[in-house]
Amino acid sequence: MIERYHPFRHQFLQSGSKELQIFSILAQSFFQPFTLKDNLMVILTALTAGSGLGFNRAMLFLVDEDKLRGEFWLGPASPEEAASLWQILSTHEIGYAEIIDYNRKLLLDENNPLVQKIKQVSFPLHSPQPSLPALAASSREIIHVRDAFNEPLVDPRFLELINVDEFLCIPLLSPDDIFGEIILDNAITRQPIKAQDIELASLCGLTAGNYIYVTKLQQRIVEMKKQAALGEMAMFVTHQLRNPLVIIGGFVDQLLSPDLDEKKKMRNLRIIKDEIARLEQIMNRLTRFFRIEIKEKVPVNLREIFKITVETVKPLIKSTRINLETEVEPGLRHVLSDPVYLGEALRNLVENSLEALKDRGLVRLRAFREDEEWIVISVEDNGPGIPEILKDRIFEAFTSTKERGLGLGLAYVKRFMEASGGFIRVESQEGQGTTIKLYFKAG
Amino acid sequence: MKKKKRILVVEDEKNLCLLYREELRKEGYEVVATTDSLRAIELIKKRNFDLIITDIRMPVKDGLELIADIMAIKRDIPVIINTAYQSYRHDFMTWAAEAYLIKSTSLDELKAKIKELIG
Repeated sequence: MIERYHPFRHQFLQSGSKELQIFSILAQSFFQPFTLKDNLMVILTALTAGSGLGFNRAMLFLVDEDKLRGEFWLGPASPEEAASLWQILSTHEIGYAEIIDYNRKLLLDENNPLVQKIKQVSFPLHSPQPSLPALAASSREIIHVRDAFNEPLVDPRFLELINVDEFLCIPLLSPDDIFGEIILDNAITRQPIKAQDIELASLCGLTAGNYIYVTKLQQRIVEMKKQAALGEMAMFVTHQLRNPLVIIGGFVDQLLSPDLDEKKKMRNLRIIKDEIARLEQIMNRLTRFFRIEIKEKVPVNLREIFKITVETVKPLIKSTRINLETEVEPGLRHVLSDPVYLGEALRNLVENSLEALKDRGLVRLRAFREDEEWIVISVEDNGPGIPEILKDRIFEAFTSTKERGLGLGLAYVKRFMEASGGFIRVESQEGQGTTIKLYFKAG
Repeated sequence: MKKKKRILVVEDEKNLCLLYREELRKEGYEVVATTDSLRAIELIKKRNFDLIITDIRMPVKDGLELIADIMAIKRDIPVIINTAYQSYRHDFMTWAAEAYLIKSTSLDELKAKIKELIG
């Protein structure tokens, strides 16, 4: 027997201890589509919310090059504000989602005095004699400060800002990096900070460190993927250009030798001309690929554009046993699009189908209403289908399996569809054929 | 008369095939050139070659697979890789080739390497 549960067990929220509730919120917030700063704000919220760990205020500093720079400061600015805030927050109907929402607004409010103050301060991280708050981050230690006004290690500028005699500094760390620091105090209630508060706050600090670490890794992965794609593109283009250049260079060398006969001279010139045309074609395709700009969408007559597409590819099927059919749903006349790009896209797709079919089979261009919202143009063939291993990559540029192709076809169509507010879907089964569907917004 | 050395060129660009064939014949070699790497395997099985020059990126069977096949059929034929790509240089299979050349508009380097390998 098995029992299944949703990974988020909200029951904690009703019945668990305060600590369990907080960590449940923290763990779950990681699954929300929040930004890094939102997630950090959730942690500060957990640390300060009335029913939370019970700190009055929380400051967040993030490392910016070699400084700790103020980012957030959450909490009431005065005892009066605290009283009204905590009353709102202790209302039974208010959950964490509302508190987080409330805090988000608070932090975005430019008139919020705490936010104004914190955004203006920064402390050098690696000075010869580091003082608090930077000391906690640079020494990778939690530091609990009491009697702050008589503590020489506290930076006077910071003391002026926080203006409280007891506070707690929690560094945000990964095994080999320092990301920032959280500073907690009880400025309003003047409650002393207890050992258990420090334990829980340190766990929140570790969680925050993890968040930042993972986010930075993700950013690096995205960056690396971009660079890899760029590298692959550069390599592909270089290769595409190198072959025609090598051919031109070689045959020019022959032309320069005095003993080449007239017939070969003409042949060489023709080859060189062809290769120059090929270079030009590569350049044109690349330029077109990188510059899809749809200025104005106009109603494109479906029968008309199908007719033009069939005309352009007719020479390719002349001596084959490929049938090319078109079908437009009765009552459907137009799609809103750019006729030039659309024509190009359809030609690309039909050419792909023809290539897949080799010399026999069926290609069908169809236009129909998928539902109220979308009109579909589909290009279907009964060819061999797209191999499973290629399915994930067919929309990536420069992944052609054809020696002379630039691998831009489907990537181009996809970019065009996205630029025109639609999208593209591929249905393909090995051995049964491929259907490419272009979705256009109806009306 | 000394027997001419025989070279197989595997290159999917038709015009490059033609260029290599003509240029290497001028150097005094017998040259068989094909744009089809599967056909190359058949040729290697049937005839003796003193040297094989191959591209890497080719449809159906790429140059590195071709080298693996050559190793299995006749492992002592020297192979020159002649490609537009730098990036395969660190591919394991390239160790089996005698030389890794980047395609260039001048054929001097290729010719020199051939001379060094088979005279």
